[in-house]
Amino acid sequence: MTMGSDYLLITADRVIDSTGGPPIDHGAVLVHDGKVVSVGRAAEVSAPEGASVESHHYAGCTVLPGMVDCHTHHNGFGDGRMGDELTLLADEILTVQAARNARASLYSGVTTIRENGPKNVTMFRLRDSINAGLIIGPRMVLCGRPVAIIGGHMGYFGGEVTGADQTRALTRQLIKEGADYIKITATGGSTRTSFPLKPSFTVEELEAVTEEAHKVGKLTATHCLSSEGIANSLDADVDMIIHCAFKDGDGADNFRQDIAERIGEKGVYVNPTLHVGRSSAWVLGHKRDDVGLTSREESQLDESRRSMDVKLDHSRRMIEMGLRVITGSDSSWGNYKLGNTVYEAELLVHAGYTHLQGVLSVTSWAAAALDMDDQVGTLEPGKLADVLVVDGNPAEDINDLWNVRDVFFGGQKLERGSDESLAAVRQQPALL
Amino acid sequence: MPDSPDFTILKAARLIDGNGGPVAEQAAIMLHGDTISQIGTQETVQAPEGASVREVDYGDATILPGLVDSHVHLIGIGDGRAGDELVTLPDEVLTVQAAQNVRRHLYSGVTTVRDCGAKNRTTFLLRDAVEMGIVPSPRLVLAGRPVAIIGGHLSYFGIQATGEDECRAAVRQLIKEGADFIKITATGGSTRTSFSLRPSFNVDELTAICEEAHKFGKHAAAHCASSQGMVNVLEAGIDTIIHGVHKEADGSDVYRPEITEKIAEQRVYVNPTLGGALTRVRMLENTADLTPSEQADLDMMRQASEIRMENVARMVDAGVVMSAGSDTAWGFYQMGDFQTEIEAHAMAGMSNMQAIVSATRDAARSCWIDDSVGTLESGKQGDVLVVDGNPNDDINALRNVADVYLAGNRVDRQALV
Repeated sequence: MTMGSDYLLITADRVIDSTGGPPIDHGAVLVHDGKVVSVGRAAEVSAPEGASVESHHYAGCTVLPGMVDCHTHHNGFGDGRMGDELTLLADEILTVQAARNARASLYSGVTTIRENGPKNVTMFRLRDSINAGLIIGPRMVLCGRPVAIIGGHMGYFGGEVTGADQTRALTRQLIKEGADYIKITATGGSTRTSFPLKPSFTVEELEAVTEEAHKVGKLTATHCLSSEGIANSLDADVDMIIHCAFKDGDGADNFRQDIAERIGEKGVYVNPTLHVGRSSAWVLGHKRDDVGLTSREESQLDESRRSMDVKLDHSRRMIEMGLRVITGSDSSWGNYKLGNTVYEAELLVHAGYTHLQGVLSVTSWAAAALDMDDQVGTLEPGKLADVLVVDGNPAEDINDLWNVRDVFFGGQKLERGSDESLAAVRQQPALL
Repeated sequence: MPDSPDFTILKAARLIDGNGGPVAEQAAIMLHGDTISQIGTQETVQAPEGASVREVDYGDATILPGLVDSHVHLIGIGDGRAGDELVTLPDEVLTVQAAQNVRRHLYSGVTTVRDCGAKNRTTFLLRDAVEMGIVPSPRLVLAGRPVAIIGGHLSYFGIQATGEDECRAAVRQLIKEGADFIKITATGGSTRTSFSLRPSFNVDELTAICEEAHKFGKHAAAHCASSQGMVNVLEAGIDTIIHGVHKEADGSDVYRPEITEKIAEQRVYVNPTLGGALTRVRMLENTADLTPSEQADLDMMRQASEIRMENVARMVDAGVVMSAGSDTAWGFYQMGDFQTEIEAHAMAGMSNMQAIVSATRDAARSCWIDDSVGTLESGKQGDVLVVDGNPNDDINALRNVADVYLAGNRVDRQALV
């Protein structure tokens, strides 16, 4: 807000407040002191008599809540390097990279992120830097290091533990350091020494984490690349299943209706991470178009198409069952760079959400999944004024979320830099 | 960039090459790859037949070498906090701050910085990040940690050495980690446990440091907040004297011409760091209702600043070569404003052209990098600053930055990601 203005009034062709209703035509959002004061039709929203108002009108645009990305890796580069490699970099460099990723994400319209696996205390240090006013970044829901078994997925980030006492102790340690929730890797993953098709922790070990986290009001989320990890997580009362790959121990894709039903009964959130696979397929697609592929790469591309189809199919079933499927990008992991969250929301629309539901999955539903819905995720009186303005109407085409005109963060309009530098953040699709 | 042309020709009404000669009129400079390939008039500078060329005509502007700031502290915040406080921040936070600072400085026209002291390995790791392409930055000439005595100035950054052997070991360790030069604190300074009016190391220790640095082709620069420190480092074979304050051990301001003569004779550079006081004075002058302690601060700084400028004028008259270095972001002086330091050089009695040379050619010479940067000459790196107006007439024209080129590439000064 410019100095001296008490109120900020944003008007546009429509407002999506993300409470679930249809867009409000000729809508307005009134902001005071960094918070939303009222939302409605422009004719009915105005500042109190005599108050100074800074007004912004956006013709042809939609106003909606800033996006909430439930799954990020700010240390990452999204250039295809393995986590095993990434973790060799010094913590100082990883923190500098995290600062850059945080800006890219914020300027793309993501105003709240959950971080799912940084090294050591790097993300706490990033948040310290933001709180000290040195840099700018989205609101952050942090886990510190993921809780992993010895050699387990992301064990290299510093959180390897064994036994219920140690998982409990690490949970307490992370909370002491500032963790807002606890991330656990319940199966292996891309980590070289881990086994993606096998569960990692025992249910007891998982339970010690969830109990300890819930005791102090913190949520938990588990990385699950195979079905037994999901089943174990449900036994242990985990709050979000990440990836949620229905795969048997022998690698066979097998949608487990019984497990999916339990997810639904328990109201557990699902973060399917669909685009991270597509982003790697795009790299191969670009390479095919530029210089051609080796036969090994051809089969990699075939496999990643097939696995994307399976994941889309499983996500479609979960969406049809009414499970709480939300957007979490998993960037900058693999080849997926932060600042491209919209690609994940787009794939949830492919998987069966309406465009408006796609918007909800990356705003209000995502905020609820993070237990942040008392502050962000919708445009309602009392919420923090994190406001995104885009050209077009994302309730009709989710891809309009790319057309960012302005981002307001806590009621402040952000300077986002040159158009060229912003355009360079977006990753380009390839034909698959 | 896929569509970048082979050659870039920059044209402007004026060109200052950094060597101190007359300003060239209707000038042009051609960049090819990362280097300068040709300099001349707008008529004479031409790309080879058939080559792809981009031409930019800046009109009533001046083309200069990218500025060389021979004294920065990249981890600093410039909000007045003491180094003793700054150092309590974690290394990750300090490195993030350094990444912000290099960007600001680059966008303001500085294409090379010499960092004169950072905590632990923070600046070395910043350089790694720059080389990985994740941080836009000027060229970096790094000291890493300064070499200090126990409790000495900047000792909190991680090196406290005693005796010739430890001094030598400290130099070897820094060079192993990637130091481009060695920074020594030869007197105390603002560090609470140090004595700014007293020398720190003995001459044999200083000699060991300088010898060891020179052995590996590195230069040495010494912080001197009082006269005996200067005497000692001159005896030890120092290359640059920083601050260069003529002050006796009792705090009295006594200009010692014999020290100046020795500095000139030994061709030691002096980096006078005048901009910090000027910035603070201006800041307080623009503050309404100063507290009594702020008023006292202002009076003291005005007086000290005046004395230091007088002494700089005397040293320049005696033939001492000045190297402009801002000392940002120390004290209240933030990065992105090297121009105030250069302005202070001009206020101290240097001509505008002399001040510009001190911030380009001579700063580069004092950093031992004048083979590649600091002047506009064909074969040198394409580090170019373009400002509107004519800084030879008005030194503050250096603030009107139109464009910055680093290694032949135009810097997107609006990029914030």
